[in-house]
Amino acid sequence: MTTMTATQQPAIAKAPGPWSVFVRVSSTIWSNGKARIGLIILGLFVVFAIFAPLIAPYGASQNGFDRSADPTAAHWLGTTAAGEDVLSQLIWGSQVSIFVGLVAGVLSTIIAVLVGLSWGYARGFGGDVVNFIVNLFLVIPGLPLMIVIAAYLSGGGIAMIITVVVITGWAWGARVLRSQTQSLRSRDFVTAAVFSGERPFRIVFREILPNMTSLIVGNFFGAATSAILAEAGLEYLGLGDSSVVSWGTMLFWAQNSNALLTGQWSLLFAPGLCIALLATSLTLINFGVDGISNPRLREGKQR
Amino acid sequence: MTETVLEVTDLDVDYNTGEDATHAVRHVSFTLEQGEFVGLVGESGSGKSTLGFAIAGLSKPPAVVTRGRILFDGRDIASMSREELREQRHGGVAMVLQSGMNALNPVRSIRNHFRDIFEAHGHVDKRHWDARAAEIVGKVELPPQVLDRYPGELSGGMRQRVSIALALSLEPQLMVFDEPTTALDVLVQHAVMNTIIELQKRENFTALLISHDLGIVLESAQRVLVMHEGEIVEDATARQILKKPKDDYTKMLLSHYADPRGEVVELPGFEDRAARAKTGAKRADAAAHPPTVSPRERRTDQKAIVVEDLVKVYPPPRRGEREVRAVDGVSFTLEPGASLALVGASGSGKSTIAKLITAVEKPTSGSVKFGDLDVGKLRRGQFRSLHRDVQMVFQDPYSALNPLHTVEYTLTRPVANFTKLRGQDARRRVLELLDIVGLSPVEEFAAKLPHQLSGGQRQRVVIARALASDPQVIIADEPVSMLDVSLRAGVLALLEDLREQWGVSMLYITHDLLSARLVTDNIMVLNHGKVVERGDTAEVLRHPKDEYTVKLLDAIPNPRKVA
Repeated sequence: MTTMTATQQPAIAKAPGPWSVFVRVSSTIWSNGKARIGLIILGLFVVFAIFAPLIAPYGASQNGFDRSADPTAAHWLGTTAAGEDVLSQLIWGSQVSIFVGLVAGVLSTIIAVLVGLSWGYARGFGGDVVNFIVNLFLVIPGLPLMIVIAAYLSGGGIAMIITVVVITGWAWGARVLRSQTQSLRSRDFVTAAVFSGERPFRIVFREILPNMTSLIVGNFFGAATSAILAEAGLEYLGLGDSSVVSWGTMLFWAQNSNALLTGQWSLLFAPGLCIALLATSLTLINFGVDGISNPRLREGKQR
Repeated sequence: MTETVLEVTDLDVDYNTGEDATHAVRHVSFTLEQGEFVGLVGESGSGKSTLGFAIAGLSKPPAVVTRGRILFDGRDIASMSREELREQRHGGVAMVLQSGMNALNPVRSIRNHFRDIFEAHGHVDKRHWDARAAEIVGKVELPPQVLDRYPGELSGGMRQRVSIALALSLEPQLMVFDEPTTALDVLVQHAVMNTIIELQKRENFTALLISHDLGIVLESAQRVLVMHEGEIVEDATARQILKKPKDDYTKMLLSHYADPRGEVVELPGFEDRAARAKTGAKRADAAAHPPTVSPRERRTDQKAIVVEDLVKVYPPPRRGEREVRAVDGVSFTLEPGASLALVGASGSGKSTIAKLITAVEKPTSGSVKFGDLDVGKLRRGQFRSLHRDVQMVFQDPYSALNPLHTVEYTLTRPVANFTKLRGQDARRRVLELLDIVGLSPVEEFAAKLPHQLSGGQRQRVVIARALASDPQVIIADEPVSMLDVSLRAGVLALLEDLREQWGVSMLYITHDLLSARLVTDNIMVLNHGKVVERGDTAEVLRHPKDEYTVKLLDAIPNPRKVA
């Protein structure tokens, strides 16, 4: 019975549509233990962010409670110096972190893809110019640059933070994607596309780009992680709009009110832990993304 | 010749287990006697390498030995533990891989590679390590100085010799060579193969040579196992296989070999060219060979490719080295409807010429003209005007198709770019192209992705793509060298018919002189970028004048030499 299968022609599998590709990619990520933990953590945060109005016991900036109170049954994590509920702030604050991470991650990935791919495909003078600019962004220390830009664009709130994170965050991704583009452009199928009369734009985005999907997805998670960290960092330094409730501003106000000295460690600890957990979850997911690009990292399923 | 070294009984090797298992090796039984040189021949996917790996105890998941025994020295390899396997490597089974030359650690000298082995097995006294290593590299015809070199400083052939020497350093009783010369250049291949044969005679170990090339195996082995779809279909001496092959599959393999120097060269589907030329008959005229494409009117506006004093110089690969003159003063004309072979070993500049003709690279000096189009001066935006008429068939069908695009997409693009057909008309044209290259049912093939196709089918898709713009010239860069022997004739017949029936002229680039003899009228032999010999293909191959041409011809493994 079983010996029959080897002699038969393999059944004609249907060309994978976009949906089945998505399912396959998701199941690959899910099959990785680390990535599964990451997805669960991320999922929890997303649920908190979306259903914040339902979950949070109080409003984000609803004050009037006891000031600097220790944790009680009514306020699980205590209250701030301004008399706000810390737990509610934490839940509401996840919205900002996830939003900034997502948007800044997408934007800086888009820039990285556009610059990296065209830079990798182009040769000659144009490439040198781009090289210079990218190197410029890479050698300037990130945090000072961010602070300078943030101070320059002061008063823009979340949009400003996103702008700053994107400006400082695209260069590394562009460099990685460029080197991959360079290795792909020497493949025969790219030369063959030239013979098919394809224009460079189409070659780059229809022939080369789909072959590095996993790299781009990985780049997105990396960019989102650093965006979340940068957002928290900038707001902690007071460079964001301190009236917005986010994990970063929570840290900012906690520091301002000397929360650690007054023994209110949860004011610093809770948002700090959330930032770390969210960043960790994205990093963990990236372990699973590796499995898409490198089938050897998966279990021996396909030949 | 009495002692049995290896006894394989009723062996099954599967990939994966349970439902989706693939049975790569099925019911294989054979024995190897001490000192024998046995060949194992099969086409890709026949399970020959899987069998070789199982014998060497190197089977890795998902490959699993599901049944049978591999008795080596009275012990079953399949059931040994890792440590037992490691120990038996000394004086046991050694394996040389096709990519063995790339298995050397680039940051360690060759001497260190030997030391690692001596240290791991402790069979050589420390004081004699260097002397022993020098002795072993001497056996594979390398000077002792290579011990101080790093892998990157050695050529492919030398590295493969080193990997043979490393395998030899464990004094194995049985050496398994898995396609040891396939990744090497023709001339080097010949030399390395000779070394292996000499070595086996001198050292008297048992050798199993795995290869897809019946010619190489028949030339070197005393006994040949022919493998087909996981089973051994024939087990006979080389002479018997050559004279009286029993199995149909063996007969089929043999029928695809011929001596390009012969007076008459015929292959299945190809009658002798000279005989055809006399009567003016086309390949497809013979009743036995149905035409692959239907005849049509030749066009009248055909243009020739004129190459004059073409030179391409690449900058030195490393500092302190000289620049590389890849193409050095080559001139020729490819007339409309003509076929010209460009032959030479790797590095002779033949592929560079293809790139220069198709504007992928720009010449350093000299000119390439297609009609009144100066190819060397084309700008990127003008490529379409050239590629409408000059198309290319790539060597490696596995890398020439984008793995993520369906056949239909791949073929639709040139149709959309070079013709005015759109929508349903374009689709009709795509299906027509698939029909021309013999991929039917066309609609089924149109929906496939490259990884669902065999190598031969992929190469047909590549040819279909080249035909989409209805070109006047096809540059075929080793179009069959990556294909199994049994598939080659079909692809060659297609190319020949395109020329004979449609009048498409062809520049056929190859190191395979037999196929050049089959499909071309004229030939140019290239050596280090210079043309060393040119003329009528049959004439040049039968009476070569240049030393280099003779060398190329001698390097071809020829089963008939055994007789």
